[in-house]
Amino acid sequence: MSPEQLVFWILAPISVAAAIGMVLSRNAIHSALFLVVNFVTIAVFYLVLGSPFLFVVQIAVYAGAIMVLFLFVIMLLGVDRSESLYENIRGHRVISVVLVVGVLLEIITAIRLGMGVGSTGAPGWGAVNEGGNPQALARVLFSDYFLPFEVTSILLIVAAVAAMVMTRQRLKAVPSASDASKDEEVAA
Amino acid sequence: MVPTGYFVVLSAVLFSIGTIGVLTRRNALIMFMSVELQLNAVNLSLVAFSRQLGNLDGQVLAFFSMVVAAAEVVVGLAIIVSIFRRRATINVDDESLLRW
Amino acid sequence: MIDYIWLVPALPLLGAAINLFFGKKLGKWSGWLASLMVIGSFAVTVGATLELIGLPSGERAAVVHLWDWITVGGFNLAIDLRVDALSLTMMLVITGIGSLIHIYSNGYMHGDERFSRFFSYLNLFVFFMLVLVMGQNFLVMFVGWEGVGLCSYLLIGFWFEKKSAANAAKKAFITTRVGDTFFMIGLGMIFAWFGTFDFDTVLNGHNTAMLSDGTLTIISLLLFGGAIGKSAQVPLHVWLPDAMEGPTPVSALIHAATMVTAGVYLVVRANALFTSTSLNVVMLVGLFTAFYAATGAIGQDDIKRALAYSTLSQLGYMFFAAGMGAYEVAMFMLVAHAFYKALMFLSAGSVMHGLDNETDMKAMGGLRKYMPVTATVFIIGAMAQAGVPPLSGFFAKDPILAIANHSGRTGLWLIASLTAFFTAFYISRVIFMTFFGKERSDKHAHESPKVMTLPLVVLAIGAAGIGFIAMKGFIPSPEGTFGRFLESSSGVFVEPEGGLPEWALILASVAVAFAAIFAAWSIYTTDRWVKLRERFSGLQTFLANAWFWNAAYEKTIVPAGRGLATFFAFGVDKGFIDGIVNGVGTVTRGIAAGGRRIQTGYVRTYAAAFLFGVAVVLAVLVVRS
Repeated sequence: MSPEQLVFWILAPISVAAAIGMVLSRNAIHSALFLVVNFVTIAVFYLVLGSPFLFVVQIAVYAGAIMVLFLFVIMLLGVDRSESLYENIRGHRVISVVLVVGVLLEIITAIRLGMGVGSTGAPGWGAVNEGGNPQALARVLFSDYFLPFEVTSILLIVAAVAAMVMTRQRLKAVPSASDASKDEEVAA
Repeated sequence: MVPTGYFVVLSAVLFSIGTIGVLTRRNALIMFMSVELQLNAVNLSLVAFSRQLGNLDGQVLAFFSMVVAAAEVVVGLAIIVSIFRRRATINVDDESLLRW
Repeated sequence: MIDYIWLVPALPLLGAAINLFFGKKLGKWSGWLASLMVIGSFAVTVGATLELIGLPSGERAAVVHLWDWITVGGFNLAIDLRVDALSLTMMLVITGIGSLIHIYSNGYMHGDERFSRFFSYLNLFVFFMLVLVMGQNFLVMFVGWEGVGLCSYLLIGFWFEKKSAANAAKKAFITTRVGDTFFMIGLGMIFAWFGTFDFDTVLNGHNTAMLSDGTLTIISLLLFGGAIGKSAQVPLHVWLPDAMEGPTPVSALIHAATMVTAGVYLVVRANALFTSTSLNVVMLVGLFTAFYAATGAIGQDDIKRALAYSTLSQLGYMFFAAGMGAYEVAMFMLVAHAFYKALMFLSAGSVMHGLDNETDMKAMGGLRKYMPVTATVFIIGAMAQAGVPPLSGFFAKDPILAIANHSGRTGLWLIASLTAFFTAFYISRVIFMTFFGKERSDKHAHESPKVMTLPLVVLAIGAAGIGFIAMKGFIPSPEGTFGRFLESSSGVFVEPEGGLPEWALILASVAVAFAAIFAAWSIYTTDRWVKLRERFSGLQTFLANAWFWNAAYEKTIVPAGRGLATFFAFGVDKGFIDGIVNGVGTVTRGIAAGGRRIQTGYVRTYAAAFLFGVAVVLAVLVVRS
């Protein structure tokens, strides 16, 4: 068995188990931690699939930044809340599971019909990654995909500004009737 | 070499798990995390196909997807925080005023 | 002038429209306007008649095409007017007597608050009646048929504040409707068999010969059914006496001279469709009505109702004649009857006008001192009806009796003669109760103004003289007599031979008439009638209620009709149809009530809905590939 296969067959179950654990856990912090495990396994998969750059970016951005952000917010909003098990929409669980299983089967069918589960990678893969993965990516990114690149930079700025605007709190001045109502509007 | 199809099936399974999470959980944060799981599953399949087809477009797309997901998380969490400030709850079922 | 024949119906229609919209402003001039319109029509008609007489006798029929009405596939219906002897006869009667009645109404309806509306309706009626007789196809005739029914309803119920008038109008309309239903079925059959309504095609002897006798009988009897309704023959006669609720000029014009004669016109016009069976039916219905109504007339105390039953009886005579095939005689009787009946109705109106609208003859008497003109003209008209020579009625009734006798129908001839006796009797009764004998009225009677009496005089001259002129041939035309004139449209009638000799019949009928007059004089100018009435009170009630025919309908048909109407109104309309409509609303609400539950407000259910959509799309894609 090649190293690739070994890695795959060890990490794939872990990945799925972490995902399931994330979905089923009652405690939000536990959920977040399970998700981190999942992200790390996926990062290793990127590595196996020949993209060391994405391996690093995945860990740095997703596991490192996004999940930390999540954990901050969880702690902000009450870490000891745990959700009740009772489902108040009748039949929702059943329907969801049925639908999801159905979609899953459809996707698998599509895969079988389309490419077949057992096909392998194309030849000449190594040539594409010439000079290292980041260099190759850069070559493509800054030529063919330059515009989207710039747009995403704007997107990030906008997102940051939006977050700041939405969550700011005015300094509480001398309370008067009009001021108080304005505070309510802004805070919301 | 692990066949690409295996990666895609794994991706589909992760996506389904994420979907179940979105539909079943009532905690807004956990729903959001499930959405992130879904995104990651798709990124995985993108990169797998990138290797399959022999060019880097899939990886570039996965990269952009991560960037956008980051921005989305920022804004989404800001919204959740604002809602929490207003109503002191993160239970999505409580936000059900637009009903019959 | 024949080309301008469209003016004849157009002028009254114009008058009706002007009076309808501007009547209030015109005030009393609306009456003169209306009268002028009809007089104008009369002038055009006279011109057309003279022109027609000038044509050679084989070509005395003209069709004036106005416009195409319906052109669908192979079916062509045009508004065509027929100008021939038969239609001109009717037109002369309608416009001539119509104008006199219009002039009279100026005086009679003076002071009524809906004065101009009355003339609008009256003109409208003249228009429709002209359409009826001038149509070149059955459908145009039917338009006129329905139109005169409408105007009759409007005019009978003119004083609609009176409940009895409103009811009488309804009764008239509904009863004639029963007849109209048969008429319509007949029209349908005509269309089914002939494919067209045009007279030239349908009434063509060649074409009718291609149909079986049975079919023709059914068609003609159906058409006659309409005539029974419109001309108030038994059993659809019950509306005519009640129709006297309308103003007297209306009774004169519609219920004596013109509308009720539409049935006679129909039979004469469509005679090509009548087989010997259907003609026999016509004859017997006519004779029975004549007899029945004559007995009824004897028992009426209301002067207008007496005249109404008299009209029924005379119409019966006309159908009796037509049923025997003597169409010119029937038509002449129509003309003569129009004169003397209109005359008598208008005179009765004059009497009512002088006595503050009193109609009960028991409260009249000896009025000839106060209303000499009215009395004189009424007596002339009555004697004409009774068949006293040389007045017009004699030239109408006598040939009918003669033909009955000569054609071997002796039994019918006897019944007809007995009816003639009753006719003379009841009409003399009216004279003697009203104008002679003791004065039983306290009211201060006076003669009517000239605007009312002058038309009476003109009518009296006509009632007296027209018979002599028409039947003996002094009108300036090559052929000379009315019969010859009418031949061009209704065919030659061969007088039967046999039976009693002519002079014997004339003598018999005149003797019958004078006997009846004498009997009436002796009973009603003294107090004998009061004593006779006490002795024969049962008979009096029987005759006064016209053999209780109305009561019989009250007990049987009216409840049935009401039950049927209730069923349709509440069961079908309210229950079923409204139920469907309301049901649609209820179902919609139900669907909406169920459907809105999709909007649960929960984000998760919306997400599930998304997923469902995704599943469907994926399935389609997978299956497609």
